[in-house]
Amino acid sequence: MSPKAVQYKANSIIYFKGDLNDKIFILKSGRVCLKSNDIETGQELQEMIQTGEFFGVKSALGKYPKEETALVLQDSQVVVFTVPEFEQLASQNTRIIMKMLKVFSNQLRRIHKQVQNLLSAEDQGENPETGLFKIGEHYFNVKKFPQALYAFRRYLTYYPSGAYAEAAARNIEQLEMRIQGHPARSTPASTASPVRSRGEELSEAAKKYYNAVSLFSQQKYNNALNEFRNIVTQGADEEYTAKSVYEIGRCLYYLQNYDECIKHFTAMIQKYPKHQELLDALYYLGKCYEKKGEKKRAGSFYNKIMSMGPTDSPVYIKAKKASRNL
Amino acid sequence: MSTDLSVFERFAVTFQKNDIIFCEYEPGDTFYLIQSGTVEIVRIIGNIEKTIDILHPGEIFGEMAILEEAPRSATAIAHEKVKALEFNRENFEVLMMGNPQIALKLLKLFTKRIYDQKRRFMILTLDDIQARVADVFLMLAETQQNPDPHKDERVFNTSVDDIAHWAGMSPDNCKQVLNHFATQRRIEIYKDKIVVKNINDFARFVNSRRKK
Repeated sequence: MSPKAVQYKANSIIYFKGDLNDKIFILKSGRVCLKSNDIETGQELQEMIQTGEFFGVKSALGKYPKEETALVLQDSQVVVFTVPEFEQLASQNTRIIMKMLKVFSNQLRRIHKQVQNLLSAEDQGENPETGLFKIGEHYFNVKKFPQALYAFRRYLTYYPSGAYAEAAARNIEQLEMRIQGHPARSTPASTASPVRSRGEELSEAAKKYYNAVSLFSQQKYNNALNEFRNIVTQGADEEYTAKSVYEIGRCLYYLQNYDECIKHFTAMIQKYPKHQELLDALYYLGKCYEKKGEKKRAGSFYNKIMSMGPTDSPVYIKAKKASRNL
Repeated sequence: MSTDLSVFERFAVTFQKNDIIFCEYEPGDTFYLIQSGTVEIVRIIGNIEKTIDILHPGEIFGEMAILEEAPRSATAIAHEKVKALEFNRENFEVLMMGNPQIALKLLKLFTKRIYDQKRRFMILTLDDIQARVADVFLMLAETQQNPDPHKDERVFNTSVDDIAHWAGMSPDNCKQVLNHFATQRRIEIYKDKIVVKNINDFARFVNSRRKK
């Protein structure tokens, strides 16, 4: 058995949405378009398949019904693979899989965000800081001490000045007494403890960053601002430097220092034109101008976000709302 | 998996029985492929530690971490002595390029996750809370192995908390809806299972409530 080349006439259908069709296709020549409906708006979506591109992959690999209708626009030649045939081809050319992994992970990230947006704050559960501490408390209460120790240690690693830092430190001391018969002050706890301590694997910059985020969430904006500025000044870790640059702007906004906030975000956009939080930075710029009473300028930032962002992103929704309220 | 993994030995980590591999809510940037031993995935709901899954050699977990440094959504505990390969964004590409079988496995896992999330999205967009709960049963029915297509009745070994989680509502609200269905004789609630008398009736009900 090997993949078959199949001819399709214009206006024919390769498969319908809802079909249980476990085949994977590549377009060799001609024109094929995929029609589906946006799960949020119901709006009809059309996607043209490029020559050489795979389609029907997700539903075949995931063993679920096709999510779109594949319509032939011009006479086309299509190669049809069974899942094992596709797997064989892909394992000889890992780049195919890598490319698909990238596409799928983007789709997954997007749908994940859409779901999170629909869930109310309480359904989303605790904020991570409180959540982590409570896990420690739970294991403490049910006397699973090594697990409790792990959770409290992780808490202190990420949130050394967090809201529960003192309680976590107290609990760790108690737990070390119970597990080892003495607090492990002088010896590194990880040597005696069955729980692997991985605190040292987290880079210094990451630790500082999480600590500053914790300060921010406690609304200690001045302290957070200082911490974020330190991370940027030291510049030890590019990723956390970039993240901190964005957070500095947020601190300035919440400190109602709008002029400096505008200056800061404008500089950030110039320095990091592809920053992960670019759209959010634009949003804060809009908000700053709004606070300063410059509605027209604020509006132009909100419009910019709406012209760039995916319509389902939280920042798009925020910008749309802000723009309406101007 | 027959592929030679010895070149990836430097990414190997070992956990003793009951060790926490990672903990719910902690920021994550690594994911794992089990080589030997089993891993228990748990969540603490209320005051109860609930087992969500038991994973075996060859299985991947924690994979959402390569997407973003989101907090872990569950705790992973070594069920017995576990040997696993630990991956992060830096070594991920090296591993995948050198090992198409693992890459394929991850690809399949992503297709499943995308489907699950889309399905969850469809449930959550229903405004009618009764329809939401009914749609959770439809979703569970879709993933049941080999159901008898000629039978309308379906049995689910699912707890109220699980259904509430999927429906994005509090367990109390969910209980009310389930009790309402029970008085209508559309479902029967037992200690360890819920019986839906006619799954097609639920399908029609959900369809009528879905915005066109």
